[in-house]
Amino acid sequence: MVALEQGTWVDPGSLPGNKPEYELLGSKNWHPSPNVRGRREDYPVDTTEADLPVWLYNGVGGSSVLYGGIWARALPSDFRARTLDGVADDWPISYDELLPYYQAVEREMSVSGLAGNPAYPPGFEPPMPAAPIHRTGRTMAEGMNKLGWHWWPGTNSIPTQNRTHEGKCVRYGICRMGCPEGAKSSTDVTHWRDAVALGAEVITRARVARVTVDERGRANGAVYLRDGVEHFQAASVVLMAAGGIGTPRLLLMSASERFPDGLANSSGLVGKRLMLHPYAASVGVYDDDLENWLGPAGEHIGSMQFYETDSSRGFVRGAKWALLPIAGPLEAAEKWTDRGSLAGEALWGDGSADRMKSFVRMLQWHIVPEDLPEETNAVSLHPTLTDSDGLPAAKVRYRVSENTNKIIDFNLARSLEAHEAAGALRTWVAGRNFMTGHNTGTAKMGDDPATSVVDRFGRAHDVPNLYIIDASVFTTSTGVNPTATICALAKRTATHIASNARNQEVGS
Amino acid sequence: MTVVNLSDELGDASRARLATLADVLIPGGSGLPSASDADVAGQWINRTLAANPDLADAVAHVLAVEGAPGEVLERLRIERTDVFDAFAFAVSGAYFMNPAVRQALGYPGIAPRRMPAADGEAEYYLEDDILAPVIGRGPVYRQA
Ligand SMILES: Cc1cc2nc3c(=O)[nH]c(=O)nc-3n(C[C@H](O)[C@H](O)[C@H](O)COP(=O)(O)OP(=O)(O)OC[C@H]3O[C@@H](n4cnc5c(N)ncnc54)[C@H](O)[C@@H]3O)c2cc1C
Ligand code: SF4
Repeated sequence: MVALEQGTWVDPGSLPGNKPEYELLGSKNWHPSPNVRGRREDYPVDTTEADLPVWLYNGVGGSSVLYGGIWARALPSDFRARTLDGVADDWPISYDELLPYYQAVEREMSVSGLAGNPAYPPGFEPPMPAAPIHRTGRTMAEGMNKLGWHWWPGTNSIPTQNRTHEGKCVRYGICRMGCPEGAKSSTDVTHWRDAVALGAEVITRARVARVTVDERGRANGAVYLRDGVEHFQAASVVLMAAGGIGTPRLLLMSASERFPDGLANSSGLVGKRLMLHPYAASVGVYDDDLENWLGPAGEHIGSMQFYETDSSRGFVRGAKWALLPIAGPLEAAEKWTDRGSLAGEALWGDGSADRMKSFVRMLQWHIVPEDLPEETNAVSLHPTLTDSDGLPAAKVRYRVSENTNKIIDFNLARSLEAHEAAGALRTWVAGRNFMTGHNTGTAKMGDDPATSVVDRFGRAHDVPNLYIIDASVFTTSTGVNPTATICALAKRTATHIASNARNQEVGS
Repeated sequence: MTVVNLSDELGDASRARLATLADVLIPGGSGLPSASDADVAGQWINRTLAANPDLADAVAHVLAVEGAPGEVLERLRIERTDVFDAFAFAVSGAYFMNPAVRQALGYPGIAPRRMPAADGEAEYYLEDDILAPVIGRGPVYRQA
């Protein structure tokens, strides 16, 4: 097993979270936008024709290095959007089919949480106990109870107990800048180190330029660039995990005589149906110091009250809410300074001291809406812009749909009511169309080769030994954070490959 | 100008000007120092620009504009929102890094620090059966 990764291993000691400059470093070298970081391995993503920028991380562990670790299984209804709501498509698999794989990866990712969440079918039992919901969660929970609304202690892929190699979370609260403790379950920590110990090879700084095919159209390796030198890695089976932007880019770059429109693209859907989960945030200022900077970040509590479709609301599908800590004063300041903030007053000037003193008395709801697939929202190869190896950059076209905007409007209004019920002195919408890093849908999973890119096991319909194991295979985006489902699908694909190895066609 | 080295090149006059401009945004009060009292234009802006060199352009831009500090910033806020936002981010980033400011705002330590949960802390915040009503209402998911 040889892995080709364009970035490098992350040294936890180099991460910003426990340094006085943490929020400033997080605004540049550790920013979740590849365009802002601008490192050698960050292929540019042109978002001039998109309503929001794109977030991702390029390095061993991928975007999980910077993710928040909110762990949310999709719901049974997520796999049946067409049947239940008449929109988008059903997945070719069901919640029940994915269930054993969710359970397996929850152990591997040291998921912490409380069993019995009534937002899920029975059997969601996180292997580690939940983190404290803290003053923040308690304050909001009391408000949610007044309204009779669902909430539940946070479920996060962040360990609350020590595990074999790593310690438990010590609550720095800056998970989205990478975990300096090596506690958060990013896959460099949870999987890659063990895989290397077991004999897997990871070649870093290796940027794959194209996947190659043999005369029978089977994948037989990859051409990659390292320090400007071209190499070839032969392979019998190729697994692609380059992410919702990187995978369509690589498939399109892998066009050949046999596959002139890009590899695995006979459906024409490679790169299309991009979904980004543009999230919105609301805040409240409360009486007391809520120690809202305490980790994990991760969610302290979550709510699925408005997740399922209710046709009386004038839209389909819904949103997941997460109550998150506010990592520090610069993040708190953004609640006023963001261009989408409806604070109604500037942070600066007269009275700014009082506003700043309310930073630690704030709570924030993040609202992640489901985002339905549209073929006009798409990743393509940039006609002129290139990465540091001269390969085409990604071009993203993306517009937030009317249904998504309605989901956001409705949920923001409810979240302000939640703040009020929880005792907020002031509440406001802190912004919308924020980036989640949930880049899904660009290599759709389905049964029909004419209308999907991969089959129910993640295998490309057009190439029998090419599998895709990342967020691009999502048939719909679901309304939850995607990593639980990405990991469960990858586990299912891996199990399928292992149990069918004898019949697996291989490249030559 | 070499943007990255702006903090090395800031002379006394520029630093004095920066302090006056920063005070327009952060005049202090209610137990918080003003930007100039917090030495924003000294070591903290240096560390800010070292941590995020991209901000140097905006700081240089604002310093190059002549006029009364309040008017300069108000004009930029309307006409050059990108410059204004980056300048305000740099100045406030420098201000919040000052440990005295951080402490006065109620943040612990000079940076986030280890604060492992205590035994029983998770249970404590769920006391008084606070989850009982949620559980009592039963499932909220759709069968599919
Ligand atoms: C700031 C942030 C917060 C988030 N918070 C959460 C959260 O709380 N919960 C949640 O569920 N999700 C969260 N997400 C989303 C989650 O991190 C991603 O959905 C997930 O990691 C995507 O996994 P992936 O395998 O699809 O792609 P990625 O993790 O992005 O991995 C792709 C990898 O492929 C490499 N690659 C790409 N192209 C090439 C090439 N040509 N050659 C070589 N290597 C290449 C990249 O360098 C990268 O390492 C967050 C994301 C961000 C950015
Ligand atoms: S809160 Fe926990 S998981 Fe997050 S960065 Fe800190 S130690 Fe890591």
